[in-house]
Amino acid sequence: MTRNIEFRDVAKSFGAVNALVDFAIRVDEGELVTLLGPSGCGKSTALRVAAGFEICDSGDVLIGGTSVVALPASKRGTGMVFQNYSLFPHLTVHENLEFGMKVRKMSRSQRTARVGELLDLVRLAGLAERYPHQISGGQQQRVALARALAIEPQVLLLDEPLSALDATVRVEVREEIRRIQRTSGIATVFVTHDQEEALAISDRICVMCDGRVEQIATPHVVYRSPATPFVARFVGKVNDLAVEMTAPSRVRLRGHALEFAVPPSEVQSGEARLLIRPEDICVAGSAGGDGLQGRVDGVQFGGATTSLDVAIAGTNHVVRVSDSTRAMQFGIGDAVSLRFDTERVLLTRE
Amino acid sequence: MKISRLSAWFTIGIVAVFYIVPMLAMARFAFQRVPVIKLSWGNVFQKWTLQPLVDSFGATEFQRAASLSVTLAIATALVTIVLLLPTMAFAHLSSPRTRRFIEISAVLPFVVPAIALVVGFAGTFRDTLPILIRSSFGLVPLYVITALPFTHRTLENGLAALDIRTLVNASRSLGASWWRTIAFVIAPNMRASIATASFLAFTVVLGEFTIASLLLKNTLPLYLSYSQGSNPQGTFGLGIVLVVISTVFVAMSNRFGKKVRS
Amino acid sequence: MAGSSKRRARHLVFLPYVAFLTIFLGCPGLYVFRSAFATGTAERSPMIEAVIGQFRGSFVFSLQLSFISASIGAVIGALVAVAVVRLDTVRGLRNTVVGYSAVAANMGGIPLAFAFLAAFGMQGLATRLLREINIDIVGWGFRISDFWGIVLVYLYFQIPLMTLVLVPALDGLRRTWAEAAQSLGASSAQYWRLVALPILTPALLGGFLLLVANAFAAYATAFALSSGGSRLVPVQIRFFLQGDTITGKTNLGYALAAWMVIITGVLVTGFQLLMRRAERWRR
Ligand SMILES: Nc1ncnc2c1ncn2[C@@H]1O[C@H](COP(=O)(O)OP(=O)(O)OP(=O)(O)O)[C@@H](O)[C@H]1O
Ligand SMILES: [Mg+2]
Repeated sequence: MTRNIEFRDVAKSFGAVNALVDFAIRVDEGELVTLLGPSGCGKSTALRVAAGFEICDSGDVLIGGTSVVALPASKRGTGMVFQNYSLFPHLTVHENLEFGMKVRKMSRSQRTARVGELLDLVRLAGLAERYPHQISGGQQQRVALARALAIEPQVLLLDEPLSALDATVRVEVREEIRRIQRTSGIATVFVTHDQEEALAISDRICVMCDGRVEQIATPHVVYRSPATPFVARFVGKVNDLAVEMTAPSRVRLRGHALEFAVPPSEVQSGEARLLIRPEDICVAGSAGGDGLQGRVDGVQFGGATTSLDVAIAGTNHVVRVSDSTRAMQFGIGDAVSLRFDTERVLLTRE
Repeated sequence: MKISRLSAWFTIGIVAVFYIVPMLAMARFAFQRVPVIKLSWGNVFQKWTLQPLVDSFGATEFQRAASLSVTLAIATALVTIVLLLPTMAFAHLSSPRTRRFIEISAVLPFVVPAIALVVGFAGTFRDTLPILIRSSFGLVPLYVITALPFTHRTLENGLAALDIRTLVNASRSLGASWWRTIAFVIAPNMRASIATASFLAFTVVLGEFTIASLLLKNTLPLYLSYSQGSNPQGTFGLGIVLVVISTVFVAMSNRFGKKVRS
Repeated sequence: MAGSSKRRARHLVFLPYVAFLTIFLGCPGLYVFRSAFATGTAERSPMIEAVIGQFRGSFVFSLQLSFISASIGAVIGALVAVAVVRLDTVRGLRNTVVGYSAVAANMGGIPLAFAFLAAFGMQGLATRLLREINIDIVGWGFRISDFWGIVLVYLYFQIPLMTLVLVPALDGLRRTWAEAAQSLGASSAQYWRLVALPILTPALLGGFLLLVANAFAAYATAFALSSGGSRLVPVQIRFFLQGDTITGKTNLGYALAAWMVIITGVLVTGFQLLMRRAERWRR
């Protein structure tokens, strides 16, 4: 039996709201898949259907190959971690960790041994006798993770476990989660609306919008080859420019004469939007050639990268550029010329 | 799931009946001129009348008792606000310890039952300041004390919702004195809480029996208790009026209380 | 110099409040205790006399009444609170129940006695209706001025008071606790036993103590129901201290009052401490 989880065309609506529509993904043993999407797109609903807190309208959820939709939450063997405040406040860390084993009637000695292992796993060995309100938010979330793992679940479900933490702790705990997930090899569904977080820890990302799956792929693919304009806009930074099609595969910026070629797409004529990431634009001094001419309007120094806001001459377009090798040479007011990496351009109607 | 909702409705239904039946019975007794023994399905809707209540309203003793109770209620509310508002406003400006002290002192009246309070009061002032016992206004300080836990809670919520330090600093920097600040800056911003506290004080005063009874003051509840024999129907009618009034006051204080919190 | 005198001036602001409390709460309280401990000509301190002599029965009666009305009131009030929170999706229900609870918890005194006389008295409407369905409470010996009658009347303010204490406590139970327990394999009964009840215990206990104190201090309703002849401690105090009867034994009346203060004091302090504890987990 493999420890995986599969959603088969799951649908769930709340009144008029379709929280999930034909939702289908599969997370294999050892894999960490993030559900990423804007607020209200149905991420939590997907997890709650899997954990048994919501009953789906149609479709099926399989854990380890068997359908679980008929099982109550307490029989599904899923480990769940919530956003915050899910530790039992009247129990110590030790007792919290023990809870699942206690209701499973494991012996005291077994429980104590397992609690010890878990505390070592999340590196909180000294805090066993503390109460939840006596430890930090990051520590609480690590205890919550350990508690979910205590029952040796088949799959781990994490619903924005980091969003209540502040930035540095968030990164620390997320690396912890990834490490533990790797060592235990458990199939994990991780919900977040933070795209940077998703890119950093996932094996695959499932981008969602309005209850539907937009794209499921590795972080690299999602970022470099977004399947839909929604994905391009939602994951990472993107320039979103109004263009006109002069011919199939040829466009010009609205209000600008220069035409250039783009890869073939279903958009053939008329007005369109052109999406391109800042790092897919080369910047050169204005003498440097025949690209789009413009003037540097703003400079953002970001440590490893520098990005420029370039106002295109004669139009009101402002293009964000982060050419890692050259951007830092320019300052505000400098005239520059831009060249789009046309292979990386995405065209869309809206 | 279904069953738990059903049992929840069941519980609420039973308790609702328990809450409603005594009030209905009191209303029927007061307003229907049919003794219970003669009551049958045939005459449930017959002989209903407000006359006994109207007669009660006309009795001079009732009017005297009612006007005493209303006067005491207003006096109690006034003294409460004048005493508490500045004190609590200052407590908010000074240390949390002061606030805590006021808070603890304000629940002390819970510890002293009304009967103990009034016998102690009578003993203390019988010889030193007998006017407090003879005059009906001697009740006011006792009522202020009795209502204190409720009124304090309300004003505390109101002050907590207000950024009082900023308000005071702004007002003081414009040259206003402390007292002007309290009267013209803090009090207007506390309208809802002051109204709530006043309604609660009214409710306490209009319902209070123990203290008035031991000091032999003819407030409304006392009038009710001794006119019961001579005019039972009218008196029960007055009982209903009292219940309705205090229901309205509590409802109003709930409504204003919500305004404070939002 | 200027600073310290200013600070002193600031503290003067609290003078009226502190003086008011001292004069009208502190002094009466002190007077009660001073008189209660004054032996006078009697051989025993009134404090002792009050609990071993003929009044022992009064205390037992009052305390029994308080504990029993508080126990029943706490159980029913808690059930109502659970029902209200469970039916939270029903619009307006919570506001109605909590709103009326606030009204009923403050009800008491004469009108409440009237209402119960009209309903459960010998000629009461409810008594009559129950007889229609062959429940003859008068025949069973039920009297509204007796022990169980007073318990029934007290429930009218005990139940809603418990509801008011418990609804916020139940709101404080986070949904994630129930869900976490479930996903860890706990049945609904296990969740209640291992998580919800322990978290609610301080509020439940605190509410119970409050109800006991509430019933113990109540006076007007019982007085009106029994036309003044009841055995309750407050009614006994009135007997001693109103007017001119048995002047030699007034100190005994004060001793009864002092015991009342001590008992409610312990109960209310317990309530406050438990509620603070209940608050700690709520954040
Ligand atoms: N119990 C419910 N009753 C009614 N509508 C609900 C319920 N739960 C969720 N919804 C709706 O379903 C949609 C999806 O909700 P869901 O909680 O899954 O979003 P989410 O992606 O987790 O959002 P967030 O990032 O804000 O947590 C939303 O429009 C939400 O309003
Ligand atoms: Mg969510």
